[in-house]
Amino acid sequence: MIKLDHIRKIFDGNEVIHDLSLDIPDQKTVVLIGPSGCGKSTLLRLMIGLLWPDKGSISLFRKTLTRENAELLRQQVGFVLQDGGLFPHLTAAQNISLMAKYLNRPIEWIEGRLIELCELTHLSRSILDRYPRQLSGGQVQRVALMRALMLDPEILFLDEPLGALDPLHRVGLQEDMKAIFNRLGKTVVMVTHDMGEAASLGDLIVMMRGGHILQHDTLSNLSANPSDPFVTEFINAQRKPWRHLEDQIQ
Amino acid sequence: MKYLFFLLTLLVITLSSLQAQPVKVGSKKFTESVILGEAITQNLRSDDISAIHKDQLGGTRLLWNALVQGELDIYPDYTGTIIHEILQEETINSTDELRQALGTMGIKMTAHLGFNNTYAIGVAPETARKYNLKSISDLRGHDQLRFGFTNEFMDREDGWPSLRDHYQLPQSNVRGLDHDLAYKGLEAGSIDLIDLYSTDAEIAYYQLAILKDDLQHFPDYRAVILYRADLVERIPNIDEFLGQFSGVISETQMIQMNSAVKLNGLPEAQVAQDFLQKHFNISSRVETSSRLTRLIDTTQEHLFLVILSLSAAILVAIPLGIWGARNASLGQVILSTVGVIQTIPSLALLVFMIPLLGIGGPPALVALFLYSLLPIVRNTISGLTGIPLDIRESALALGLPASARLKLIELPLATQSILAGIKTSAVINVGTATLGALIGAGGYGQPILTGIRLDDTALILEGAIPAAALALLVQWGFDLAERTLLSPGLQITQESSS
Repeated sequence: MIKLDHIRKIFDGNEVIHDLSLDIPDQKTVVLIGPSGCGKSTLLRLMIGLLWPDKGSISLFRKTLTRENAELLRQQVGFVLQDGGLFPHLTAAQNISLMAKYLNRPIEWIEGRLIELCELTHLSRSILDRYPRQLSGGQVQRVALMRALMLDPEILFLDEPLGALDPLHRVGLQEDMKAIFNRLGKTVVMVTHDMGEAASLGDLIVMMRGGHILQHDTLSNLSANPSDPFVTEFINAQRKPWRHLEDQIQ
Repeated sequence: MKYLFFLLTLLVITLSSLQAQPVKVGSKKFTESVILGEAITQNLRSDDISAIHKDQLGGTRLLWNALVQGELDIYPDYTGTIIHEILQEETINSTDELRQALGTMGIKMTAHLGFNNTYAIGVAPETARKYNLKSISDLRGHDQLRFGFTNEFMDREDGWPSLRDHYQLPQSNVRGLDHDLAYKGLEAGSIDLIDLYSTDAEIAYYQLAILKDDLQHFPDYRAVILYRADLVERIPNIDEFLGQFSGVISETQMIQMNSAVKLNGLPEAQVAQDFLQKHFNISSRVETSSRLTRLIDTTQEHLFLVILSLSAAILVAIPLGIWGARNASLGQVILSTVGVIQTIPSLALLVFMIPLLGIGGPPALVALFLYSLLPIVRNTISGLTGIPLDIRESALALGLPASARLKLIELPLATQSILAGIKTSAVINVGTATLGALIGAGGYGQPILTGIRLDDTALILEGAIPAAALALLVQWGFDLAERTLLSPGLQITQESSS
């Protein structure tokens, strides 16, 4: 459903994505992971046409993404940003239904869909009458997720959706998201730098470093057959603090 | 934008056709000119000729251009000013030559009215005694003296630069200021020497010492009346009619009339009426208005200027700002252009516009419109470009087309900034609209200008207080508008609860 073919991206003379190709299978959750500056967020933005590659091509739904069809293709995908990216002048409900209203969906359909999504994300309908500034961080991300899911897209893009949350809310939303992805069977592309999140949510993990894909496999295969010492190093680095903590508790 | 220009043109045409009927008499913004203008106007009216007096307009250049353009029909001026300042023809030596030169431009001139109001240099009596100053040549040895000249005198062809060269004067502490304020400065001792008109009432009042023009620098400034040659088509006997004024006003008499206004506080209309009664045995009507009717009139004129110019500025500046926000380099070009407009002095802008728009409301409206653009354009650009990246990305990622993003997301988010820009423009506009008085558009500037000229504080306040009150009202109105127009979501401060 998503295909990247020999992509290069240059910012201010520096190549940040080097000749990268990737196929993302349908109805799987694929996690792009790697250290800061590895190009994972850039790659996500290239897939949705918020950035354009200097070389290579990207196709969504078997159509090559161009500046002409980008608007229409974007209407068929969902996008969630780290800080939610909610429009502060609209209530949560208006944020979620903005695009549906723009496309002239009937008001009853919109209201029905809001209730469905509330149930899915464990938010009460009354919260949706609040403005983004009246919501907690976790609520903002749930609303952002609802906005992305409103038109029932086949593909969902998430850029560090849990990155701005405190650990308690993080775990709750992470579990809810896992349940939602399993239930809806969407193709999900998610960017994170957190191995725990990747392990919990990802069917496939794309390990990136310096604008390259180091390895692209399930977590167990990454652990068992690392293609590069860095893969093992990255996986273990994120386990270490926990080990220390466990040692201390014992 | 096209239809706006069309509307403005239409407005200009309507306004000018409305004013086409009566004879338009102009006067400069000093008392003597106003008295003469008033006398001419009343004299016309006494003969059942409809006439209006556009009094105390901004400056020689402005009146002359208006006369040549047909925005004015008649105004009093002085031979020296016409030769050296307007025509800049140094070779003209006789009245006939002057008349001929004016004739080629479609302008006629009466014979001399009788008095010579030449430039003179005055000092306080104690200064004259202290330095033993009797003539302009005596100034050479005293380079510490501080000069305060009218702005017009500072750069007139026969003004300070040529006076300095002619007499080889060494003084460098020279500043330009308003003529009526110059007397105050002299009295307060902040300047030592000023230029003045030889018929000024204040010379006797302040007992000023007039320095003798011993090297004959200043030409004659004999008062005459200038009028359009084609006025004869509307008033066949206009030559004889204006000719009545020739030779009847002596220097002493003009000083008396100036004193009656400036020192005794009589209205110019009253002084002009007394003059007509005495010399032509004409009893003319003097229209005096109460403070309240004046206030209502000036308020209407002021509001007209502010509301119309600001509305036009909003309609033009917001699209310009949107355009500028889309393209950073274009935005720079737009901002520097409206920024440069802002730096053009208001009087200069008004003079530029006389050939296009004449005098009265239209040029004042266009000037105010131009001065209102910068804050709105700047705040529209900064409001739109200041929208955080994640919001822009979200709007793009939803697949909204550019026009819908602008309408649904960007403009609502920039509302606060745009409103603040409009508010700034409106407050500045209320203040700047007082310049309308310089070009005959009325408004609160009228009593301020007259008040400064007559040293009448009550009259200054009659313009200044309502102008200040209007500025406050505008500010308050926009604060209210902000609360209504701005989404409640943007008026909430972030809650920290989670």
